[in-house]
Amino acid sequence: MSRLSLQMGWRLLRRELRAGELTVLLLALLVAVTAMSSVAFFSDRIEQALTRQASQLLAADLVSNGNRPPPDAWRQQAAQRGLLQAEAATFPSMVFAREQAVLATLKAVSSGYPLRGEVQLRTQQGLQAGRLAPAPGELWADTRLLQKLGLRLGDSVRLGNVSLRLSAEVLREPDGAMDLYNFIPRVLFNHADLAATGLVQDGSRVRYRLMVAGDAASVAGYRQWLAPQLDRRTRLEDVEEARPEVKSALERARRFLGLTALLSVLLSAAAVALAVRRYLARHWQSVAVMRALGQTGSEVALVWGSLFLWLALVGGVLGTVAGYGVQAGLLLLAQQWLGAGLPAPALTAWLSGPLSALILLAGFALPPLLALRRIPAVAVLRADMPTSSRSLLAPLLAIVALLGLAAWQVGDSTLALWLLGGLVGFLLAVGLLAWGVVRLLRRVPLSGAVGWRHGAANLARRPWLAVIQIAALSVSLMALLTLTVVRDDLIGAWQKSLPADAPDSFLINLQAPQQATLDALFAKVGRSAPQAAPMTRARLLMINEREVKGSDYQDERAQRLAEREFNLSWRAAPPPGNGFAAGRWWPADSTQPAFSVEQGLAETLGIRMGDVLVFDIAGKRWQAPVTSLRKVAWDSFQPNFFVIAPAGWMGGESASYITSYRAPDRDFNNRLVAALPNVTVIDISVIVREVKAVIGRLALAVETMFSLALAAGVLVLWAALAATRDERQFDVALLRALGASRQQVRAVILAELAWLGGLTGLLAGIGAMAIGSLVAVQLFNLPLAPNLWLPLLGALCGGAVVGLAGWPLLRKITRTPPTDILRNS
Amino acid sequence: MILRAEALARQVDYHGQTLTILHQASFSVAAGESVAIVGASGSGKSTLLAILAGLDPASSGEVWLAGQALSALDEDQRALLRRDKVGFVFQNFQLMPQFTALENVMLPLELAGRGDARAAASAMLQRVGLGHRLDHYPRHLSGGEQQRVALARAFVVRPTLLFADEPTGNLDPATGRQVIELLFQLNAEAGTALVLVTHDTALASRCAAVYRLNDGRLQREAT
Repeated sequence: MSRLSLQMGWRLLRRELRAGELTVLLLALLVAVTAMSSVAFFSDRIEQALTRQASQLLAADLVSNGNRPPPDAWRQQAAQRGLLQAEAATFPSMVFAREQAVLATLKAVSSGYPLRGEVQLRTQQGLQAGRLAPAPGELWADTRLLQKLGLRLGDSVRLGNVSLRLSAEVLREPDGAMDLYNFIPRVLFNHADLAATGLVQDGSRVRYRLMVAGDAASVAGYRQWLAPQLDRRTRLEDVEEARPEVKSALERARRFLGLTALLSVLLSAAAVALAVRRYLARHWQSVAVMRALGQTGSEVALVWGSLFLWLALVGGVLGTVAGYGVQAGLLLLAQQWLGAGLPAPALTAWLSGPLSALILLAGFALPPLLALRRIPAVAVLRADMPTSSRSLLAPLLAIVALLGLAAWQVGDSTLALWLLGGLVGFLLAVGLLAWGVVRLLRRVPLSGAVGWRHGAANLARRPWLAVIQIAALSVSLMALLTLTVVRDDLIGAWQKSLPADAPDSFLINLQAPQQATLDALFAKVGRSAPQAAPMTRARLLMINEREVKGSDYQDERAQRLAEREFNLSWRAAPPPGNGFAAGRWWPADSTQPAFSVEQGLAETLGIRMGDVLVFDIAGKRWQAPVTSLRKVAWDSFQPNFFVIAPAGWMGGESASYITSYRAPDRDFNNRLVAALPNVTVIDISVIVREVKAVIGRLALAVETMFSLALAAGVLVLWAALAATRDERQFDVALLRALGASRQQVRAVILAELAWLGGLTGLLAGIGAMAIGSLVAVQLFNLPLAPNLWLPLLGALCGGAVVGLAGWPLLRKITRTPPTDILRNS
Repeated sequence: MILRAEALARQVDYHGQTLTILHQASFSVAAGESVAIVGASGSGKSTLLAILAGLDPASSGEVWLAGQALSALDEDQRALLRRDKVGFVFQNFQLMPQFTALENVMLPLELAGRGDARAAASAMLQRVGLGHRLDHYPRHLSGGEQQRVALARAFVVRPTLLFADEPTGNLDPATGRQVIELLFQLNAEAGTALVLVTHDTALASRCAAVYRLNDGRLQREAT
């Protein structure tokens, strides 16, 4: 590109920006680039963090993870191979301090932990980092626990039967830093103190991890030796498969954010297309002059090409800066999953903004730019724009550009195609609906004030533009309404579906002899204690002599259920609130082998009435036929079980006990844990509150991205209004010349905006209402009455958005004296 | 001869019919000579001008501009020829709205790659009496001022040949007279050949030769 073209392009850019000719175009680019680059930054930094933390996520090179302590032979073998080793046992339990009890995830680690990665601590001596483990008698806790209990370093904290000194605040824990459920505080203490706590008892939910690290060959050799000895309760984890749940959750988040960014890009693209068309339609005469003055077609294209190149650069750089800001906000919201101190984004992430601006403009501005070359010099003698031939090049290029962006964003071209297809399909559906409404508006004879009638007629007069505006705005508005109003409706409906006296606390890990203490505690507040149910971990071995293997099932849930242990109970009387889909409950004094299976589980695993099941409970096999299928209300907040056996048959087995109740007063749970230190109380109201807070943060992150989409929608509105401004100006001049007052003219314009906004919001509200009902029924099985306010609320929001965004653009028109316009046209 | 046309004809298809808007027009202009083409609205004046200036091709016949046969050149080659030899003044001024007066006059100099564009353009604007309005945009100038900027833009490259298409058509009579005075002055100073298209016979009579275009037929009038 010649220097002259670049210079002229730059001069044009500065002038046109000042004259406001490129405002909408630049803003559309900005929004698209902001959306793209914020997601690019976000995913780049997360990916880097994941890669960097891969071995740290395990705190080792290889880990065996099971629900029993690793045999001594495993440790000896590791020692013989010269591997470093450490152990950890993780389980939920109550932590007691300052006369309060809080549920926490406890991790007992042996000295030597962590084998890989570093622990970061705040101690009374200051910040420390390194391969550190708490000394016996000491305890480390994360910031959440310190805040919840108001603890200071040096305080005493009780775990079960022992009191430990809080010696450090954990700022970073390699294999715990990205726990998705870490709204539960985490505590580390020395493995040597584990037995003394008395917290590990029959039926406790403990994960035992034996960690090893060393040179690759020794680790591989050990792995080969160990693998055949594993039973199905133990699995091996290495760097490759470290924390798949975190990876897939972040991957999903990344894709979802990518999708919303794509929506912004798609809407911005519509605004760019409209704005470029308008810009070139207003400037073809300049091109003709240049041609007459002796510029060749290619030179002309170069001058305007460089204008757009500069524009892409300006929009790209500014949008990238804005994108960095948005991303920083997103990361702040996600900090509790990611920890502080993420690596700086890579160069490619910085480039993504300017590059996407370039791709977007290339897709949408290049075709009309190339058409500029064909504007003949003789056009300088003509009054109207030479018609350019319509080619398929424009839409094709645009689609290729968008696909490229989408593939890049999502990192998977097939998925990108589907996503893009879905988005476009959705927009088309909304557009079709809008088209119908606009056509209806044209047919329906409206009576009433002149303003309203003319406003509706104006809208219907440019149906395509109206459809584009309505579709663009209503999609983003619908998403926002769904995220705000429908979300609250759903939570409200769920809370309403719970009876007022529904239990709010679960108590697990109770041992049989402790029922008497429980009875006494409840007796003190004048209530009868709930009856605790026995619970033990069982694994399904066989159905009708056929071995149960996860790989036999297609369904992911079935695979998981077949691989893992689940809770089994025994009782004499049928559980209250359970119904029967088939078979009958056994007599209360029955000693016959029998299983009662929950209907859903039976369907998932293909278990029928009369099938003979074999369970493994702590190494012992239990065989019995299925004598009944139960219907269980899982949301009753009562302990429920997949499989139940007669108490007379299995009752002699050791078990821990579970029950639920409504806490009589606020301090009750603290007193209970003080009296029964080994039990774990799960306060549902606290968890619901935490979950709500987490959902709130996630929603805020998504709302941020949808706000960008709304901004893009507003830009489409602007671009469309700008595209019709000259025409409107002439209409207004004519109206005024015919004697319309300025007030009447204003009423017509405002009415058109009101129609546009109202229709947009109405569609958005109806859409959000439909989504809400669908989600309630399909996903949560909740009886959610459609929120009939939504369409009205939507219409009001739409009217406000369109009115506020559109009026400043059109106000000027009403001020222009009619003679000016009629003379100039 | 700086400009020579032989047997120019132009037909256009209009709703399946062939309309002839220019019949066998022949025409020549010597260096420094001024020639007027007069005719009523719709007589084909603009078409003839477009063909003579190489903006539009003829259906048949030939134009030699500065010795070059235009039919032998493609659009881009004709553009380069215009850049080197030709200036334009239009009825509706055709200034670039996004450029200042100075930048509009600089434009042809910049296109020709002249390093002294700013100084030359500034001097030319002084010459047409707009030295105080260099940085004004066209929309802030009156019609007469805009046409003077257009004259400055046309003459600043010292073209061999200037085409003026109804240069006073959008101006009131008094302003129009001033602009025409200026046009002829500049023409005389630069020794430029002039092709003036107008429907104003009084204006046309100031030229050395007058051609009348009547229904697509061009005839030289006795002077």
